[in-house]
Amino acid sequence: MQISDFFEKYKGTVQELTIGKEGKSVTIGGDSVLPLHSFEGTMTRLPVLALEVWDAPPPENWAEHLRSHFGDVVNSPVLWAKKCVETYGAEMICLYLASLAEDGEIDVAAVAARVKEVADAVPVPLIVYGVGDKDADAAALKEIARVCAGEGLMLGPLVKDNLIEIAQAAMEYGHSVIAQSPLDINLAKELNIKLTKFFPKDKIVMDPMTSALGYGMDYSFSVFERLKHVAVLFGDDMMKMPIISSPGRESWRAKEAKLNEQHGILWEAMTTMTLVLAGANVAIMASPDSMKLVKKMMGQFTVS
Amino acid sequence: MILIGEEIQILSKVVSAALKDRDPAPLQDIAKKLTEAGADYIDLNVGPAKKDPDILPWLVEVVQGVSDLPLALDTLNPVAMEKGLAVCKKTPLINSASGRTDSKATMMPLAAKYNCDVVISVLTDAGIPSDAASSAEAIMETIDYANSIGIPNERIWVDPIMMPIGVDQPRVVAMIEFFEMLQDIAPGAKSTLGLSNMSSGAPHELRGILNRIMMVVLGRYGMYSAIVETFDSDLVALAKGQRPADVELIYRAIDEDINIADLSPHEAAIVKTVNVVTGKNLYSHSWLDI
Repeated sequence: MQISDFFEKYKGTVQELTIGKEGKSVTIGGDSVLPLHSFEGTMTRLPVLALEVWDAPPPENWAEHLRSHFGDVVNSPVLWAKKCVETYGAEMICLYLASLAEDGEIDVAAVAARVKEVADAVPVPLIVYGVGDKDADAAALKEIARVCAGEGLMLGPLVKDNLIEIAQAAMEYGHSVIAQSPLDINLAKELNIKLTKFFPKDKIVMDPMTSALGYGMDYSFSVFERLKHVAVLFGDDMMKMPIISSPGRESWRAKEAKLNEQHGILWEAMTTMTLVLAGANVAIMASPDSMKLVKKMMGQFTVS
Repeated sequence: MILIGEEIQILSKVVSAALKDRDPAPLQDIAKKLTEAGADYIDLNVGPAKKDPDILPWLVEVVQGVSDLPLALDTLNPVAMEKGLAVCKKTPLINSASGRTDSKATMMPLAAKYNCDVVISVLTDAGIPSDAASSAEAIMETIDYANSIGIPNERIWVDPIMMPIGVDQPRVVAMIEFFEMLQDIAPGAKSTLGLSNMSSGAPHELRGILNRIMMVVLGRYGMYSAIVETFDSDLVALAKGQRPADVELIYRAIDEDINIADLSPHEAAIVKTVNVVTGKNLYSHSWLDI
């Protein structure tokens, strides 16, 4: 008799999804156990950590610590992305479309051309994240989908008011999408049902929204945790999509993180690790130092 | 299932305007329709009635002018409540008292004084309990108090407080557990709840099926009455035993996993809805589409 004889069999497996194209791809998801429960069953792989790159220079009040790493490359998304991969070993890059929040007319073609340059420059797959303005995001992501056809990007966020147009473009050009819901498990399911009416289920990632430590992280934790319960324990087919989280940008908005470098590094690392334990399959981080800490902690979990 | 018609309530534009203008006609019209539709009680919800406690006795007289049904007087204002109770011809139902200190002091004694039935919710000074066990604990204390001032269990209608399923599905599911326990913790007590609360926020055209299925599910576990949309004729038919095949299917869907592929669209909708109100499936507004 072994300890494993006493384990209950789980009903569901988190979907696997491969991002990128041949020669530079990363696969996420695939677990048939709760997050990091490697002692209970098959934990196919560790969560993936991406580093974030902005497509426009960050504002004045951007954290000094992040500037100390990337101050020399903030004017070039290509150089910034290369530094993330070559110097800091990022497995994925998340390109944040900060340019969409700038004043004035948005040149969608130029935004898309920049994304393509980054995609061509780095040997890792790309996540492309809009700024959360449903119209600006939709216009840009549709063009990016077209210009980067075949790159296998992960595009988001899709919200209930723009999901159809972005998902149609993603489907046409072979990308996956991120469905974002405001810390609400029922709405997360609702979006997935709406999307899967025309979009392949295995090309969807869920963003249930991230809050940083001290700013509502516990809400994110509860929602991630329940999503995994519903997917793995109950086997709900509409909830087996992997989860993406953005602890980097959220953590470095906290005043506590900005005030003191050591605080900031830990703030991001602890937010990330906590949400990985809750169920994030991909975490978008900002500081290479925080990423290193999280990798070290995750290294203690065995993957079969 | 005893049905308390919810249609005369302050949040309705027609009702609110009629109350403001002291215009009996629209109110009597609703009361007549409720009576014909098959309500067992008519709920008269006048809100807090702070500035105008005389509104409730006026409304009672207006409704009694056209209907013989007993009334559920629905306000948290004890002054308005007492004025309303004083003019009721049939024994009314007080809706509602709770375990809050102020309610125990001012509302609950009215039930003893007027020798009438009273809805007592699980609310206490600590707020709304979060699950079935803490609801049970809260209501036991409150019922103890009610008994001590001369209100027997038989005159108490326990209200476990329904929440919208889109906000708190686990709480909706916990209602089942609560009703299963109720006769053990309060033998002889009756029960009720605001059924339509459950579907608040759900797509308008789908609220009816949620309400109807939940009513039958909770009825199976002993719920005595519900405050309902009586103008939903399907709901009244279900409550009054005119849809035995549907009820049987609902019971079966609670007990076993039914293969939806073998069912008609009407039956499939019933089973899918049972699966969300009993917590077998996570709720979403599109629960009927999958």
